Amino acid sequence: MAPEPAELARLAASYLERQVWFQSAIDATPAAPIELVSARTLRPSRPGLARLILGRGEQRFQVLVGWRPPPELSKVLRGRESALLGPVGDGQSSALAYDAVADDDLLLELLVHVTGGKESAARVRRVSSLVSHASLVYDERLFMKCYRVLESGARPEVEVVLRLDKVGFNALLAPVAHWRDDGFDLALVREFLPSALEGRLLALTSLRDLLAHAAGGEDGRARERDAPRDDGATVPDADAECASAGGDLASEMRRLGATTARLHLALATAFGDRPASASSFAEAHSALDEAGGNVAPELAARLGTIDPAAAGRTIRLHGDYHLRRVMRSEVGWLVAGFSDDPLYAAVDADGSLPGRRGSPVEDLADMCFSIRQIAREALSQRPGAEAADATRLASAWERRNQAAFLEGYVTTHGVRRLLPREPSATELLLAAFEIARELRYEATSAEA
Amino acid sequence: MDSPTDPADGATRPHGWHALDDDPRWYERAVFYELVPRGFYDANGDGVGDIRGIVEKLDYLAWLGVDCLWLLPFYPSPLRDGGYDVADYWSVAPDCGTVEDVRLLVTEAHRRGIRIIADLVINHTSDQHPWFVESRSSRVNPKADWYVWGDDDQRWSDIRVIFCDAEPSNWTFDPVRQQYYWHRFFHHQPDLNYENPEVRDAILAVVRFWLDVGLDGFRLDAAAYLYQRDGSSGENLPETHQFLQQMRKEIDRDYPNRMLLAEVNQWPADVVDYFGDGDECHMCFHFPLMPRMFMAVRREQRFPITEILAQTPPIPDGCQWGIFLRNHDELTLEMVTDEERDYMYAEYARDPRMRRNLGIRRRLAPLVDNDRGVAELLHALLLSLPGSPVLYYGDELLMGDNIYLGDRDGVRTPMQWTPDRNGGFSRADFAQLALPPLMDPVYGYQAVNVEAGTRDPSSFLHWLQRMLAVRRQHPIFATGGVEVLPADNPSVLAYVRTGTGETGERAVLCVSNLSRFAQAAELSLARWEGAVPVELIGRAQFPAVGPDAYVVTLGPHGFYWLELEVVG
Repeated sequence: MAPEPAELARLAASYLERQVWFQSAIDATPAAPIELVSARTLRPSRPGLARLILGRGEQRFQVLVGWRPPPELSKVLRGRESALLGPVGDGQSSALAYDAVADDDLLLELLVHVTGGKESAARVRRVSSLVSHASLVYDERLFMKCYRVLESGARPEVEVVLRLDKVGFNALLAPVAHWRDDGFDLALVREFLPSALEGRLLALTSLRDLLAHAAGGEDGRARERDAPRDDGATVPDADAECASAGGDLASEMRRLGATTARLHLALATAFGDRPASASSFAEAHSALDEAGGNVAPELAARLGTIDPAAAGRTIRLHGDYHLRRVMRSEVGWLVAGFSDDPLYAAVDADGSLPGRRGSPVEDLADMCFSIRQIAREALSQRPGAEAADATRLASAWERRNQAAFLEGYVTTHGVRRLLPREPSATELLLAAFEIARELRYEATSAEA
Repeated sequence: MDSPTDPADGATRPHGWHALDDDPRWYERAVFYELVPRGFYDANGDGVGDIRGIVEKLDYLAWLGVDCLWLLPFYPSPLRDGGYDVADYWSVAPDCGTVEDVRLLVTEAHRRGIRIIADLVINHTSDQHPWFVESRSSRVNPKADWYVWGDDDQRWSDIRVIFCDAEPSNWTFDPVRQQYYWHRFFHHQPDLNYENPEVRDAILAVVRFWLDVGLDGFRLDAAAYLYQRDGSSGENLPETHQFLQQMRKEIDRDYPNRMLLAEVNQWPADVVDYFGDGDECHMCFHFPLMPRMFMAVRREQRFPITEILAQTPPIPDGCQWGIFLRNHDELTLEMVTDEERDYMYAEYARDPRMRRNLGIRRRLAPLVDNDRGVAELLHALLLSLPGSPVLYYGDELLMGDNIYLGDRDGVRTPMQWTPDRNGGFSRADFAQLALPPLMDPVYGYQAVNVEAGTRDPSSFLHWLQRMLAVRRQHPIFATGGVEVLPADNPSVLAYVRTGTGETGERAVLCVSNLSRFAQAAELSLARWEGAVPVELIGRAQFPAVGPDAYVVTLGPHGFYWLELEVVG
């Protein structure tokens, strides 16, 4: 017999108040009592498992509660004693209730429940637990995000993943099961590719190779371009040097461009696309205004000449598109970072992205800016003596990979209809949005 | 006899875990050694390597630790395609020896625990072959339908021309018979007509003949092209599979413990068809893995390798991949994407003379700028990835090549045995040699030769010999499963070979640094928590695997093979 929900809720409420994610989720409204909204027993026998939804004002929280006899529990909670809630009665001898996320057995049980019996696993590990969801990896092949802070209605990140999957976009970790109950998205199970790596790491590997080459024999190899040449030819240009370096990334960036185009086409299919309007480029305009005449007066003037009727479409954007949000895996590039992504969760703080719409050029500008940033990052790691040559090469690397990314994008079948009719307008918008990103970045850095 | 005397074992096999007795699956655990009979050792001093020469060098090969020799064609041939243009299936080219010599080779090799397979060219013959001479003589003769004839050159026009540098079409007009004949390769290599049951019977008779001589199997050349069909690519047709299955059936029935190794230069998902349901070829070459290994080292990241492993489907029980770094042909680029092919050209073949068809004619050492660290890393990958490794003669010395020789001869120069005349390959006058030995200052026989390699305990040759011995001690490398492990550093490639031993589950973790700079990586080894990794070469213990990520640090191009032993 399971303990009374009210009893579990009482214990869970005080547990909730001790949690960092609870503190950061509650708003500034005067303190309200924590109440039980709904409860469901998932496993009545010992160890038992119940799912509670608690409310505080308008906010809702999920707590998974387990219970076991004390001697058994002390083994389960070793090193995770803070998960203890307190004593409960379940009709048998004494039992202790605790946050079930601390209990491997119950997490394995949870997977079976959430997937309706389709999936089971032998092992589970927790990726991170101080955030507003529990991130669980099953057998290194499935990933469950079990939400603690709930949102009423459809959770945007769940919606994006499910809809993109539905329209056949496969460059993301595919959803396996979705747990929705009592009107809330409670958990999402997706496939997990642990060997996937952030695009940023690939970029740094490429830059390391190139800049070491520039350092002139640091790696024990003579630089070909320094060798005497009997044909009297001048040294190759920087782009040719990037191209001939072992770690050239251009082919990967071209593939990433193509994946990005497929993402945008899928977003357009899943959420619809609309004609762009002048307001679609408001951020770019204001950024240029803010930058004043110093940065790009000509750019600002030309931006005003873009005909909104020929400015392409607006779609639901990724909205935070950069080299930490794309992953290289054995099956090619994967797009992450819809906030609900296991990979995203592993690399960055949690955050819910609004379902923002805009010109796809915004995402492209984000990525181009990110390519520039990573080149800067790699440069900053090199000693000053090499600076001049390294800077020259890093700039060439940046241009080469931005160009490859954009080429991969625009040459993907069907994507041009999303872009402004004139390629020059796309270039203009790209430049303007990049400046906007730069300014936003500078502002954020200054704050930090 | 100038074979190495370093290990005391000499002619005795230093290992006995797969005796040459009744082991039908020997090829799954074998290390193959591909050699060009004409370039290996000249026993009779006529300037051409021969079968007797191989017999004389068997002690060296046994010492090195190879399990099976793969001989390139030794049949009579006008040698317009390295012997792949066979003019007589039933004998040995006079300058290579006799059928009796092959019998002797088989006997002596078997005595040392070494098996012998040979190339069998079944798709086509030389235009000098008596079958073709007769077939072309008229439209009505007993062999008139033994080859593929047509009145025009338009049929099957969709079928690609493989040697596109040399041949404008797959059809060539024959002025005698006044018809066109079909050839997938050079025009002097007419394709046999497998629609004709007499041809199929004749080829099966050839197979039986050489198995009776004692060969342990065949490397089937150009196995994918036996049949043509309208509207098809002329490759991988069901009829081709049926014929190979028929060949397998006859071999299984009458010749135990023999094997077929198919050369099918296709994408792995298509190649697996040549395993059938375990009733076709025992082994197939895994072609795309090879350029990917080179690419991964140049890019300093693992995805070129892990991507192709992910695209390699499982194969039936009793089947095995053949994997290699280099062979007698080019670095094969047919199966990489256009973009990657451009990349490989740019990286490895700045000199247009190095290019040929869709490949690159280089030996391993020049391909990696003679970098010993890279050569060791590539061999460590070759010996630990799933499949039976195929070594190419001379690469154990880090021999070079001669790009100035025509055709594919640049990588078929004589084996370098000693610093003496002709590199110890032949007692003939230098001018008598079919191909000159290398004499350049870096790779020339004066510096790079078996004698020097065996005398120097820190040579690459000794290193490789030790690595083969280590691999032999751990059959998990041969028959175990493979699982790529996540690592947080793209320059680090980690995979686990898994299997079941006498003491239960076994695992060997292979971790490699593809970069020329030192690297660290965190590996997820939670499944082996509590295991104490033991490095296989030096048997040094590493820190036990704990619940958290396992940190490894690797020197430039470094690698470890770590046995994961669970204690208690």
